[in-house]
Amino acid sequence: MGTQLRLRSAKVLIINLGSVGMEIVKNLVLGGINSIDIVDDSVIKEEDYAAQFFLPNDDKFIGELKLPNIIEPIKELNNRVNINIHTDNFNQLLADKDFFKKFDLIIGTELVKQEIIELNELTRTFNIPLYVTGLHGIFGYIITDLIQHVSTVERNTINQAKTIGEELSLNKVVENYQVDKPNNKEILTIKDTYSPISSIFTSDNLPKQLSKRQLRKLSSSLPIILSLLESDRSELTTEEINLKAIQMCSNLGISPDILSKEYLQEFTNQQFTEFVPTSAILGGCLAQDVIQFLSKRESPINNTLILDGLRSEMPIYSL
Amino acid sequence: MAKDTYLKKVLGEERFNHIKASKVLMVGAGGIGCELIKNLMLTGFGEIHIVDLDTITLSNLNRQFLFRQKDINKSKAMILVKAVEKFNYFDCKLIPHHGNIMNTELFPISWWSSFDYIYNALDNVEARTYVNSIALFLKKPLMESGTTGFQGQVLPIYPYQSECFDCIPKDTPTTYPVCTIRSTPSKPVHCITWAKEFLFMQLFDEVQILSPEKLAEQRKILESETTDKKEIDNLMNETNELNDLRKLTSSTIEEFMDNLVNKIFVKDIEKLIRIDSLWKYRKQPVPLDYATYNSELSSMVKSTSSDVLHNETKVWSILENLYVLYQASKSLIDRIQSGEKFISFDKDDDDTLNFVVSASNLRSSIFGIDVMSKFDIKQIAGNIIPAIATTNAIISGFSDLQSLNYFKSYELSNQDANTVFVSMKPNRFVARATLASPNPQCASCSLSSRGIMSLSSLDGTLQELIDNIKEFYKYEDISLILGKNKLIYDFDFEDNVDRSLNSLGFKSGETLLVQDDNDELENLELYIIIGEEFKLPELTLRAKKVFKEETDAEDDEPIEEGVVDDIIEVEPPIKKQKV
Repeated sequence: MGTQLRLRSAKVLIINLGSVGMEIVKNLVLGGINSIDIVDDSVIKEEDYAAQFFLPNDDKFIGELKLPNIIEPIKELNNRVNINIHTDNFNQLLADKDFFKKFDLIIGTELVKQEIIELNELTRTFNIPLYVTGLHGIFGYIITDLIQHVSTVERNTINQAKTIGEELSLNKVVENYQVDKPNNKEILTIKDTYSPISSIFTSDNLPKQLSKRQLRKLSSSLPIILSLLESDRSELTTEEINLKAIQMCSNLGISPDILSKEYLQEFTNQQFTEFVPTSAILGGCLAQDVIQFLSKRESPINNTLILDGLRSEMPIYSL
Repeated sequence: MAKDTYLKKVLGEERFNHIKASKVLMVGAGGIGCELIKNLMLTGFGEIHIVDLDTITLSNLNRQFLFRQKDINKSKAMILVKAVEKFNYFDCKLIPHHGNIMNTELFPISWWSSFDYIYNALDNVEARTYVNSIALFLKKPLMESGTTGFQGQVLPIYPYQSECFDCIPKDTPTTYPVCTIRSTPSKPVHCITWAKEFLFMQLFDEVQILSPEKLAEQRKILESETTDKKEIDNLMNETNELNDLRKLTSSTIEEFMDNLVNKIFVKDIEKLIRIDSLWKYRKQPVPLDYATYNSELSSMVKSTSSDVLHNETKVWSILENLYVLYQASKSLIDRIQSGEKFISFDKDDDDTLNFVVSASNLRSSIFGIDVMSKFDIKQIAGNIIPAIATTNAIISGFSDLQSLNYFKSYELSNQDANTVFVSMKPNRFVARATLASPNPQCASCSLSSRGIMSLSSLDGTLQELIDNIKEFYKYEDISLILGKNKLIYDFDFEDNVDRSLNSLGFKSGETLLVQDDNDELENLELYIIIGEEFKLPELTLRAKKVFKEETDAEDDEPIEEGVVDDIIEVEPPIKKQKV
């Protein structure tokens, strides 16, 4: 199947339509996907207006179900894409396993760890690729479990030659490599193997992929973001965040010394807040990765991307 | 919680209030602009002005999410502002401007100076350079951004504190020698360039009437490339003949087509063949045997069912190319005859693209060069790496994010912003670098000072102005360049000193470059405005910087330490042209 055709036939499910969810939907609808189903049972809240650009600009909608009130502007973006909305409660929906079976790809936004793990068990059972994402102000994450994936990229020969079997990172292996000398092209086939998301919270892979210096300079945002997933989204104090993050550092086999006061303060202020430039970046990256994944072109994110808006960094770790 | 609760938490109450009270400018309402306006509005900016000179085209719709089918041909800036009202939750004051950002009458310096921050969301170097120069004149912070395909970059610019847009050398676009394009093409791109830049322009686009000076200039360029006088004469004649052909755009399509094909694919080729010197080492072209296709072409034209035009990935036959050339020419001359004064090439304007594709393919086949599909030629003719919506989204996010530090203190110095590049690797999605200091050899920010000169009238003489400038800045001897490259005065060119400023072209929005002919002080660039009184900007000019030229030691005398003669100053790249 050609790239366009694969994209045009893909059925995607998105769970929760907040700020980053709206950015993803916008990008995928513009990209021309076959259909998007959206699950969200929330009502429009005042604070949603800070970063959710599809909301109707009228206070009388506050307190009403969100999805029925934003579907029109989404459909307007591209009338060839089918949009279906479901205002069911996601946790209840999890019991109806067959509901998830029909999708080619699932994207969960702003979920808590328990929901992610249950969803991931389902996607593994049905062999469906899963992306999860969320943000805290200027910080954010994308975690992927695409199970297994082979992608082929053709590009101008720029880099040094690769060898078959070479590890590009802990979970990316060169499966095939050809050079087309006359046209100055190289064709690189990469096989990605993914870990179940439940295992990343206790992964001992970090010390294996980072040098000592890199480990010392690791941003606090990785352990803090992972530990915030374990909370139930109710507001935590700086001390609570600190304790959880220290625990996460020990789970990941890294030194808690990396936790800085500045980051703990920023996360205390920004935990679970939405901020549109962060959503734009995350939503852009995630949609781009989904499109690349569906077209089997570039090797996708594997498996934990952290957006650190303080340092302007977006490292990807293989956990 | 209130609507702005999250913004206060993320930005801090004080910075949020600063942002609310700020007035910012976004230049460009295209791919990045559509995304960026949403970000800026939902970051809480109080007033945003949007400038774009373009109208919406069909190809914009699949990546510029604020535009719809019904908006085609309407002003981007105007429609953008209408569209975003739907999510103007924080009552941002939105002011659209449909116009060229470089127009100094629409956008005088006083207008520019009212903004706290400038965001570029542009797609061309010329406008970027211009906005950069304004940022330098006014010492305004500027966020530069751009994308190509899956790559993109944001660069925060704090004038004189960090690298400016001109500090970084740009790749100049590839150009081909005129002779290769016009006489001896050997690659598809040569024929495409010929069809687009020469044939199409001469026939349909806005052309300046060629003055004798212009013609002489053209001949000079040709003479610098070849000594073959026959070839030069031939090329000069061709241009004249195309001017005649242009008049045919008011005749019938049959007449136009026959004349066009007979001239450019038959007679011109025959003339080229007669210049023996060209074909000593090259394969001779073979003129098109137009007569053999004539009857088939006319029956193809009569049957309305042909779908050649819609098959963009197929490589067309000669007959099919002739058919496409016929149909494209028909549409184009129809448009000219129904009132369009001229038509410019646009890869998204199918009539213009079809014309260029078929004409370039026919020329290729004549010269034995590979013929290509419309799809492939579009890539080359449009010189495009496709713009990707998601890259624009990512870059617009960083453009907003990287600017936010400025609103803590409004200080240009000591900004801990980063330049960010999108370039995906297995272990990172973006790369970032701290801002570099200005390039010490940058002609725009390191080798000159800038300021605004207010003139009370344009009736004074140049001599009076020269005296004033010399006295005010303690220059001994100066030369003056008005605008881009018009030399109006230097020590051995004093013809203009008694003329009025008005007659020399001084006007509001023009720039005047002052250079020290004694090479002691740095250059001074003055932005001219007409004001109540005569006033020069208060500036302390730095000493002119000198750089040692890197020399090939071979031919030069050995360099002795401390020998001043070996020091050569680097002049800004300004062409002098006397008037």
